[in-house]
Order: sequence, then structure tokens, then C-alpha cells
Amino acid sequence: MLRRTLQSLTVILLMAVSVAAQGGLQLPPAKRVKLANGLTLILVEQREIPLISVNLLVRGGSVADPAGREGVADLTAELLRKGTGRRTAEQLAAELDFIGASFSALTTNDYTTIAVEFLRKDQTKGLDLLADTVLNPTFPAPEVEKLIRQSIDQIKAGRDRAPSVIGNYFNGYLYGSHPYGRPVGGDERSLAAITRDDLLTCYRDRYSPANTILALAGDFVASEMEQELTARFGAWAVKPTPAFSLPEPLPVKGKRLLLVDKPDSTQTFYQIGNLGIARSNSDRVYINVVNTLFGGRFTSRLNDALRVTSGLTYGANSFFSERRQPGPFVISTYTRNETTGKAIDLTLEVLKQLHEKGVSETELTSAKNYLKGQFPPRVETTDQLAAQMAQLAYYGLDERELNDYYRRIDSMTLDDARRVIRQYYPLDNLVFVLIGKRAEIGEAVKKYAPVVDHKVITQAGF
Amino acid sequence: MRQATGLLLLLTLLISAGVSAQAQQFNIRTHTLKNGMKIIVEEDRSIPNVALYIFYRIGSRNERPGTTGLSHFFEHMMFNGAKKYGPKQFDRVMEDAGGSNNAYTSEDVTVYQDWFPKSALELIFDLESDRIANLSFDPQVVESERGVVASERRTSIDANNFGVLYEQLGAAAFTAHPYQWPVVGWMVDIENWKMEDLKRHFEMGYSPSNATMVVSGDVRMEEVVLLAEKYIEPIASHAAPPPVTTREPEQLGERRVTVSKFAQLPILMMGYHVPEAKHADFYALKVLQTLLFTGQSSRMYQRIVDRDQLAISVSGSFDASFDPTLFIVSAQPKDGIEPGAVERVIDEELERLKNGPVAEEELEKAKNILLAGFYRQMKTISGKANTLGTYEVFFGDYQKLFTAAEEYRKVKREDLQRVAREYFRSRNRTVATLTPEKPSGK
Repeated sequence: MLRRTLQSLTVILLMAVSVAAQGGLQLPPAKRVKLANGLTLILVEQREIPLISVNLLVRGGSVADPAGREGVADLTAELLRKGTGRRTAEQLAAELDFIGASFSALTTNDYTTIAVEFLRKDQTKGLDLLADTVLNPTFPAPEVEKLIRQSIDQIKAGRDRAPSVIGNYFNGYLYGSHPYGRPVGGDERSLAAITRDDLLTCYRDRYSPANTILALAGDFVASEMEQELTARFGAWAVKPTPAFSLPEPLPVKGKRLLLVDKPDSTQTFYQIGNLGIARSNSDRVYINVVNTLFGGRFTSRLNDALRVTSGLTYGANSFFSERRQPGPFVISTYTRNETTGKAIDLTLEVLKQLHEKGVSETELTSAKNYLKGQFPPRVETTDQLAAQMAQLAYYGLDERELNDYYRRIDSMTLDDARRVIRQYYPLDNLVFVLIGKRAEIGEAVKKYAPVVDHKVITQAGF
Repeated sequence: MRQATGLLLLLTLLISAGVSAQAQQFNIRTHTLKNGMKIIVEEDRSIPNVALYIFYRIGSRNERPGTTGLSHFFEHMMFNGAKKYGPKQFDRVMEDAGGSNNAYTSEDVTVYQDWFPKSALELIFDLESDRIANLSFDPQVVESERGVVASERRTSIDANNFGVLYEQLGAAAFTAHPYQWPVVGWMVDIENWKMEDLKRHFEMGYSPSNATMVVSGDVRMEEVVLLAEKYIEPIASHAAPPPVTTREPEQLGERRVTVSKFAQLPILMMGYHVPEAKHADFYALKVLQTLLFTGQSSRMYQRIVDRDQLAISVSGSFDASFDPTLFIVSAQPKDGIEPGAVERVIDEELERLKNGPVAEEELEKAKNILLAGFYRQMKTISGKANTLGTYEVFFGDYQKLFTAAEEYRKVKREDLQRVAREYFRSRNRTVATLTPEKPSGK
């Protein structure tokens, strides 16, 4: 049993930033190459452990899914390793496992990444398998059907664990019909509607060299690795990438509450928030500093009030999910059925206090120290470095932004903190999403919003 | 690492070490303080940070009925105030200095973890020594923390059907040995333990001689030893926890447990009694675990998830322990599939392993996976601190980490068949199933 739950969320905020200033850590230099077909290569030598980490990023994640066919990008990525022109799914699994490689496909709202890692001695095999899965997938019909059936059951299984589905409900309720409101992995209905043709279309439209960033970090010589990758990916044919629309989302005005009934709940899991920020927001580092104090670490005000002082919960936190367009700002916690009202009251009080009292100079210094002190372990490993480089490139950035991180933190003043609180922490316009036992909490939560909507956890969709 | 050890371990396939690395690749030295605490230091300057772990040899196996979960509750109390640093100060002072912390409790150990920039090294020693020497027990803080732990239990058990079933499985599989109760404790015990219980637990488990400290990162051995002599050595040692003498009697027949509750999908879980970490069969069982469960080419995944499509997941968990433990096979059947159907196929695969030959290539694959897993857990200073401490505490010597590869290499195909026949017998197991039930009434 663990004492804390907070840090995994802090990681999200720190992912895309780095250290170079203030002595000690210097990120290894990256070599960048653009192949003739438009593929971007980013190579970082880091030779402490005989491992090579690959992060291949394809632009256009779930936001490019056709409406009603949510889950297409996710399934497409998962199916890359389920059959190619040269290997069956079983052969791919056997060859990857034989060298102890890891291979994972992750789709987010804005992009898909394929992360592969293997030992240096298996470099040739590892790169061959990477290239084969990305360049020659065949999407065999039986594998497509199998994965769709499994994914539908995974969605159902997720409904047995409130924490694993609450984000889907929150995004759906906050964003409505905007593409960010769609579940990345789809839902029971959208998955059932997807055909093999949808996946072929997704592959044709998104998986092209100019739409892809290939970042590697680890135990190799950059110039040699460049040759190896050029040999495998240089002949990847250029093809057009059709545009898709990603409108700017609108924040919710006023207050709205969604209660999802889960009749066996002994606790209410809830999220409160509104629109947050885009990755390109120039205040993002300052926002990270303020959020560290508000809900981003163990001693944050939310965790202090709801856990440490009152014992209402095992953990309370807040985060800004940064995306191409503004992602959500979310306060997240849980408490037993009987204390649901008390905990929500306290949550709103902590938010109000942030606006009314701001933060002190001492707190500001503490948050700065914390972010700087906790940063190096976020860029410690080759897989972290590869992912970091690929994401920066996706946003049109490079390590210069990382090198500026400490300086940017240090430049923040109390005036900046006041402005950030006013500008980015919603107070009167809030979305509430709760999963809990309606029979026991339904009355207590009506007071939080003039509009109250209801769903039942067993209903398809989010 | 944010999973709850002892409960969610079912959901993760923890790969233990397989090594061909040479010890000299790592700059490791040890020192034992006069009060008996052993310190292991691994110098690594790749980032300007340090991971400091303290392993106490006390866990839920040292508890008694009525106060189950006390070790874990105590783990929480270690953050709630001592003499120099009062309530809330441990966390505040550490975070102000750029550090963070966590802790975990298992059946066997309680482990405290600090991650911080190297500039905070002395401060961390000051904080740790304060709570080891002079922990305080404020009644109000105890009550508040009781609520926190109850919430943790509701989250890890009530809101997680795997947690519910795992707890019932353990309670049935062990009749005598303390591994029968959950690490987090039964809810009624969480509600009822007393201040005296906490104080007794501290006296029992928190002698410096009962702990091992592991420091990995941007430090020098000499400075760590000087700080340890200054802050930790003056803390007097006392008696170690009384030995846990109970051995689980041999199981005489298969046991079955059923849980019916509100759920979308069923779960199947089977626990087989297997030996502790220091037993000669440990490595063969790890290889067997890998061959059956790790990767999409593993036998169980291929058969159950891929070919027969009976379940959406299947996993096998088996970890180092002080006393004989359980090897747990768990699967989540697909919607509409009875757990019994999955059980039959798992049994067929186990029989195939017992009676049919294992290809040399398949054995090699399992060993390669274990080797790659070794490198992955040594990628970070935090991973190294945890791995070194685990080998020291569970295998008796951190250097066993560097002979593990040889131990794996020695495992032959016949050994896999032998351990499969020895441990994977129906009379040696408990089968637990969770069946979905629709809510009644409202």
C-alpha cells in the first residue's frame, strides 16, 4: 500500500520541460535530420546502459477520428503489430519477445506514439521490426475483429473502476461535441461501428513520412544510426495528409453537474474544472508553479485540506492537461459517500482562498525549488529523452526551450502568480462530474449547479 | 511508481532481475553503523539527484488478528511529526528543498523513499533520523490519518474488483500464516486499532538494526558515511521483531471461493502455494512465470487472449517473499464467458507444460526477457535503489543481483517441468471467482 497518489499527475505537467541552467544537468545534444521524403529524425546519444529507446510520433490522434467512429486512431496504432506484409501477428510477438523488446502504441487526442525499446546488441532486429510494423501493416481482418471485440470488453471492464473512466465522462461533459470531448479509445457503440476500411483510411491519411517524427535516444553512435534509419525509412513514399478541423474549444459558462450512478460505490469520485491551456501558452511554466502550490504536490493546498488536515480522502490534486488546443483544467479527488458534500464544499473553499489570498513569497520559492529539484528524474532515461524530443518537435520546439526552463521558473514574481490565478483558475464557471451512489449522494450534490444531468455507469458511451 | 503493493501487483508483471552485467559497472560500497544499520551506496552522477530508500524488515506478516493493517498505518504515521519536525513539517521541509517522498508496505517490509536534489542530502538525513529516533503520536493526527487509510482501502479494494477478489483468495489460501490478511488491513481493524498498538509496533519494528539504507545517485560514499554517523548512528538499537515461526500447513485439497457483486465482467484468480525467495526453486519459477505470462507471445496470452479469445487479459504474479507465498494466475474473462471456461484452458496449458517438452528457443526467449527487464529496472537511480535493497533484504545480499543471471542460465527445460509438476497441482491451489451481480431494488 502506498501513501501517495499525486506524483503521476505532476509528471504530466513537467513532461515537456527541462534543465540545463544551474549547473549539473546538461541534456545530451540532439542531432536533427530531415530525410528527402520529409521524415524528421532526432537522435540523442546516451550511453550509460546498453539500451536503445525509440519514440515514433504520428500527428493526428483521436481528434482526426470520424464522429461516431471514435477509437479509430487508437485501434490503428494497436494493429500495427498484428500483421505485416512479412510477418503474422504471432511472428511479430515472438520476434519482439525473443529479444526482450518492449513495444507500445499510445494514442492521445493530438497524436499517436509508438514506443519501442531493445538492447543495443539487438539493434538490427529491433529496427527491422519497428520499420516493418510502421511501413507494412496489413490490418488482417480477423485481427481487426478480435481487437475490436477485446476493446469493447476493456471499456466494460473499465466501468468497474471509477477512477479509470471518470476522465472520459469529464471530457465528454466539458467539451460536448468538440473533438476533445470524444473518448480516445472509443466507446461500446463507436467501436462496434468501426470497420477495417476506417483503419486503412486512418493509416493512409496519417502514417506518412512528413507527418511523422522519429526520435531515438540511447546507446548508439548518431551518425551510424542515421544511416540505419535512412536505409529503412528513406524509401517511405511521400503521400498527402488530408487536413482535419480542430476548432478552438469554448469554456463552459456557469455551472453544470453530471452525476454518474454506480450503485456499488462506497466513495464518490469527482472532478471539477473547465478549459485549461494549450501547450503553446506562454504562461505554462508560471501556471505549473502556481499549480504546484494549489494541487500539484503532497503539501499542496488541496491535498493539505482534504487529506492531511481533515482525513476526507487518500489524495486530492489538480492538473492542466496541455494540448494543441486548450486541454482541461481538472481538480480530482474522492471521498466516502457520507462526506461527499463536505469534501466538495472544502474543495470549492480552497479554490476560493486561492483567489482571495493568493500565494506568499515563501510559497513561491518553495514551489520553484520543488519543480527544479524534481525535474532531472524526468529526463533521466533514454525512453524519457526520446519521448521528450518527439513531443517538442511536434509542437515546433527544441531543447532550447528545455534549457530555458530554470531561468523561466526563476523569473516568476508574485505579480505573475496573481495574474495567473485570476486568468487561469475558474471560479464561477465550473463543470462537476461525479461517479458515485446516486441513492446516497444525489440530494447532497444538487446545490452545486442549476443544471444537473444524470447517467448510469452501465450505459454505453460516456 | 504509484501502484499499491500487495494488491495491485496482480495487474503488473513484475520482472525480477536477470543479469549479465558485471558488478564493476556499478560503483557500490557498503558500511555498517555501530547500531547495526547497513548502508549500501551506489554512486551515479548521471543526474544531480539522489534516491534514498530505507527498508525496514517489518510488514503485515508481523501483525496479529485484530490489528491487521497496522504496519501500513504506521507507514503513514511516519510522516506525521516527530520531535524536531512536528506535524506536516516532514513533507513541507522536504518539498521546500526540492525533494519528494513516498513509502510502501508489503507483507514483509516497509520501505521509505526520498527523491531529492543532491543539495538536500544532509537535510534528508536530519529528517529521517528525527522520525526514527523520536516519532510522536498526536491523537488528533492518528484519527485524521485513520480516515485517510480508510479512503485508501475504499479505493484499492472497494473500487477495484481485483482487489476484492485478491483479498478473499488470500484469506482462503492461508489458514495459519499471516499472509492470510490484506496489507491494508480489514476495515474493522482500521477503525479499531489503538494508540498502544501503534507504539508497540514502533518499538517492535523500527530499530536501526532492523533496517537497511540504500543511497543511489550523485553522492560520495564518504559523505554518506559521515552523515550517517552524525545522524543515524547515535540512535540506539533494540530487539528485532520476534521471528514469525508459523508455517502454513500443507494444503490437503483444492479450495474454492466465490464473490458475487455488482460488476460488468467476471474475474478468475488462482493461487498456488510456492516457496520463498531464498528457496532453490525461486529462479525456475521466475523463468516459468515469464514463459507462461510475459509478452504477447507467451503461452497463456497466445492461447487464452489471442487464439481461444476467452479473456481480455491473463497474468501471473510471483514475487520475492520471506515466507512461502502464492503464485497467482488471474484472468478477466470476456463478457459472457464463464470463469470456469478460462480455468479449463489454463489447466490445459499447465498440463502441457508438465508433460510436453519446452523448446530450447522458448527457454532462451524467457531468459532474454528477464535480462532486458534487469536493464530496465536499472535505468534510474530510483530503480537501482529499490533493486539493490530488494536483493539485500529478500535474498540476504545485494550482490545476489549480480549472480542472478547465472542462476537463470542454470535453469534447464527439465526444471520447468519439475516445478510445474511440484507446485501447479489442484490440491495445492485456491480458485477464486468473481461473478457479476446486478444491483437489487433501487
